[in-house]
Amino acid sequence: MAPQFNPKRIGHFIYRDLVLLKGTLITSLSVAGGALFLFSLFAMIRDKNLTDGEFTGIFGLFYILTGLVFTFAIFREAQHKKMDHLYFALPVSPLERLIGAWFATTVLYTLLFSIVAPLIGQFAILVGSVVFGANFHLLSLFQEAYWQVVKVYFFIHPVFLLGAIAFGKNRVGKTLLFLVLLVLGVLFYNMLLYGILNHGHGVFDDDALASYAFDSAKSDFVGAGIVLFAGILGPVLLLTAYVKMVEKEV
Amino acid sequence: MIAINHLRFHYPKDKMVLNNISLELESGNIYGLFGKNGEGKSTLIKIMAGLLYPKTGSCLVMGERSERRTVKGLQEIFIVPEEFELPGIRIASYARINAPFYPNFSKDRFNALLEEFKLGPHERIGRLSFGQKKKVLIAFGIAANTKVLLMDEPTNGLDIPSKSQFRKIMASAVDQGKCIVISTHQVRDLHSLINHVVILDNAGLVFDRSLYEVSEGLWFGKAQADDTEHLIFSEASFGGKSVLPRAHRDETEVDLELLFNAVLTTPEQINQALNIATHGTTV
Repeated sequence: MAPQFNPKRIGHFIYRDLVLLKGTLITSLSVAGGALFLFSLFAMIRDKNLTDGEFTGIFGLFYILTGLVFTFAIFREAQHKKMDHLYFALPVSPLERLIGAWFATTVLYTLLFSIVAPLIGQFAILVGSVVFGANFHLLSLFQEAYWQVVKVYFFIHPVFLLGAIAFGKNRVGKTLLFLVLLVLGVLFYNMLLYGILNHGHGVFDDDALASYAFDSAKSDFVGAGIVLFAGILGPVLLLTAYVKMVEKEV
Repeated sequence: MIAINHLRFHYPKDKMVLNNISLELESGNIYGLFGKNGEGKSTLIKIMAGLLYPKTGSCLVMGERSERRTVKGLQEIFIVPEEFELPGIRIASYARINAPFYPNFSKDRFNALLEEFKLGPHERIGRLSFGQKKKVLIAFGIAANTKVLLMDEPTNGLDIPSKSQFRKIMASAVDQGKCIVISTHQVRDLHSLINHVVILDNAGLVFDRSLYEVSEGLWFGKAQADDTEHLIFSEASFGGKSVLPRAHRDETEVDLELLFNAVLTTPEQINQALNIATHGTTV
């Protein structure tokens, strides 16, 4: 009797994905690494220095973009007209597929990118110091800003996962559009809530006060937004991705 | 082993592809699933593999509904699709990453089959022709030792020597515990391989007989002048072969192509002749 959930089988499935995506992973990491190197160099040109904060900003951009590419690559077989039969006929349950894909594209990917990126940043600093005398120092990536970036990636990752499974054509574009609409929706909801609760104070009549209103809304409701996204929306998106995988016919 | 009951299927906004199909497939047999292009052979194979879901009715594979795609069920089914793409990795790597999912996979059997197909485990799949890729997948499917092996047009893309090689390998692959279903529109390719014929036509099941029944009940060959009144089907070409009730005639080798054409032209007469031969009445 084969259970529907077996951690060992998830391990085999992740290994299978990594073997199949070795080329894609190497290429996208190389492209991201090259861009990370160039952006780090450009950031040093003006003040001959690359601060940890500046590097974390560059890291965040490429970490999220490459993560998006990797998440879509991991479901390439499921969306490929000539590969989907063999993918869905493989004895792996939908839950195992989803957990395997999630683990590979979040935990494993984050570990890998967090090892490779600082090495590239350090190399850029070395090159900068040799070529145009930039300040040489050791990068320290793992600070609060780094964890914020990782947190953001883990928060928005269910959207990538759902987009990679649910959309057949123009998957990346549709997913990004969905993400933009989602962020706008949450912003609008926060603004609306703030407007309703503070309507009596005429917050939208005065420019300064309006600006204050936005700032205040951001600080007041960002916590609620996080709870809404991580506690409800994220799990709902993951559940939807699971249902899409169960329903998928090829 | 596979029980299909009153199954109906259509693609979205399209006409019925399979209409009220009921069929029982048992282990120890190689089934030939025949039909013209677009008659639903591939669809039926996909439903058996759990890749498409019936609109109504059911398809049970070893007692489980195929559309549930349970791990237990999928471990006992392997499908060789008509059109597929394999990753460009080495054959040995392909086996290494996929074999752990099939508990009865035999590496020795896989290597022996590769050798028989004149392929080496270190060859890159990306550099193989489509026919060679098909051989890799067929070898993997047989070595996976699943109870159900489904093949959709397996001889497409194979050259003539490879087709006879395929028949030889498939004949050695069947045992009492396995059920093999091979769908094709190239009826001749399965000559001397299958022992049961299933024919689909007009979205329905028009023929479901063992070859033993067919050879007991029908006679294939060039008819004599005094056979004219008994003819069930005759090829249009001059000197063409005919199908007659066997009755007192000597047993002949079943001509699958002729049988196929006869069933598509006069399914009632063919089934009636076989019912008389089997039961002695027009059941």
